[in-house]
Amino acid sequence: MLRPLQLRATIQRTAPPLLVVLAAAIIVLGKADETMFASLRTMLGDDFAPALETLSRPLSAAATLIDRIGGVFTMYGDNQRLERENARLLQWQQAALKLSADNRELRRLLKAVPQNAVSYVTARVIADAGGGFARTVMVDAGADQGLARGQAAMTGEGLVGRLTEVGRRAARILLITDLNSRIPVVVAGTHANAVLAGDNSERPRLLYAADPRGIKIGDRIVTSGEGGVFPPDLPVGVVASLDHGGPRVEPYAGLSRLSQLLVADYGLASGLPQPTPVAGRRNRRPAPPVSDEASVR
Amino acid sequence: MALKVSSIPSLPRVNNGLARLLPIATTLLATVIAILPVRLPGYAALTPAFALMAVYHWTIYRPDLLPPLGLFAVGLTQDLLAGAPVGVTALLLLLARAAVLRQRRHFIDRTFAFVWGGFTLLAVTAMAALWALQCLLQFTVFDVRATVFRAVLTIAIFPAASFALGRTQRALIGATP
Repeated sequence: MLRPLQLRATIQRTAPPLLVVLAAAIIVLGKADETMFASLRTMLGDDFAPALETLSRPLSAAATLIDRIGGVFTMYGDNQRLERENARLLQWQQAALKLSADNRELRRLLKAVPQNAVSYVTARVIADAGGGFARTVMVDAGADQGLARGQAAMTGEGLVGRLTEVGRRAARILLITDLNSRIPVVVAGTHANAVLAGDNSERPRLLYAADPRGIKIGDRIVTSGEGGVFPPDLPVGVVASLDHGGPRVEPYAGLSRLSQLLVADYGLASGLPQPTPVAGRRNRRPAPPVSDEASVR
Repeated sequence: MALKVSSIPSLPRVNNGLARLLPIATTLLATVIAILPVRLPGYAALTPAFALMAVYHWTIYRPDLLPPLGLFAVGLTQDLLAGAPVGVTALLLLLARAAVLRQRRHFIDRTFAFVWGGFTLLAVTAMAALWALQCLLQFTVFDVRATVFRAVLTIAIFPAASFALGRTQRALIGATP
């Protein structure tokens, strides 16, 4: 018979090595089946979202304050730049209005099917991965706000990433720079398809380009819409360097300074008739995309 | 002999329930601080390992109040919240605790510089181990520079964290034994 004191000593002695073994076992299990902890993750994300939101507010306020103080010193230069830019944009506005009218007229002539409207949800970044081995962020909106797996997260400038885990009031976004991110893209204005592959560096690489030599620094990269995950023509970034590992793309969105994100629902998975190969390809993805929940909505 | 050194020493009992929770609570807070978004370019990759500082501090000064089970739970929470491979932080924190507990007697009543030196050793070892483990788990070779910078930042920030933890400890638990 163990007396309470002895029992306590035994537990104190055996617990640490047992827990170490347990942690190692969890690592192996989680690696073997990456979806194993997904529900636990979203649950915990939901639970911690309010705390993270509260705690991230002062940081975000401080960043805004620093930006404003910095802005005071650059005000004159900024103003001049903006005036020049405004003059240029006014010209573009005229061009856009004319093109828009042309476009409408041509669509009417062709009896083109109107594209479905895009709805946006604005979400605030409340956590990031912290530590260099993953590039993800958590936002303070989830299924309650209409978010669903697979949707595209953007800033005003360009694509940020894809929603991978969606809880009730928090969601995780896999940034385009993450090691596991693969986005089908195309060089704007051409049919040069490629895959934008993150490697945890600031600039993801372009892989599997049909003609890598045809890609030049300064080329605009947009989503191709292949695979049906993203709609085509979302701005992604610009080719910034051509090293031996292939061209690297500087994302338009400032991924290290994310605060507000737009999550766009293009209705791609909402039961729209899709060409069969696309649907077939989608079914091969490890977890089913949004279709079920979205079609209910 | 070895067993005696690595087992938990008897320290003055703390009866205040809130104070007893302090080590685990601050370690949990450290993991949450580590995932808060800071809008500085490159910061996300270089975030200091705040939880490691808390584990080092409490294992030296109040190992009785940092139960391995609590540490395990905090580690799992960090992995789940950060979207990292689950179990890695839990393993790292538990091993750090075991290592520090084994050497604990050398750090009692020593100058801060000595304690900081000990932390430097721990941080370098832990960061190297974390890098190796992540490379193994994700079948890739991560940039070593990020890990080196992260270790340097972690070591550089330790005095501030140690000061804050020491102050809280004195206020809630009492003087260091």
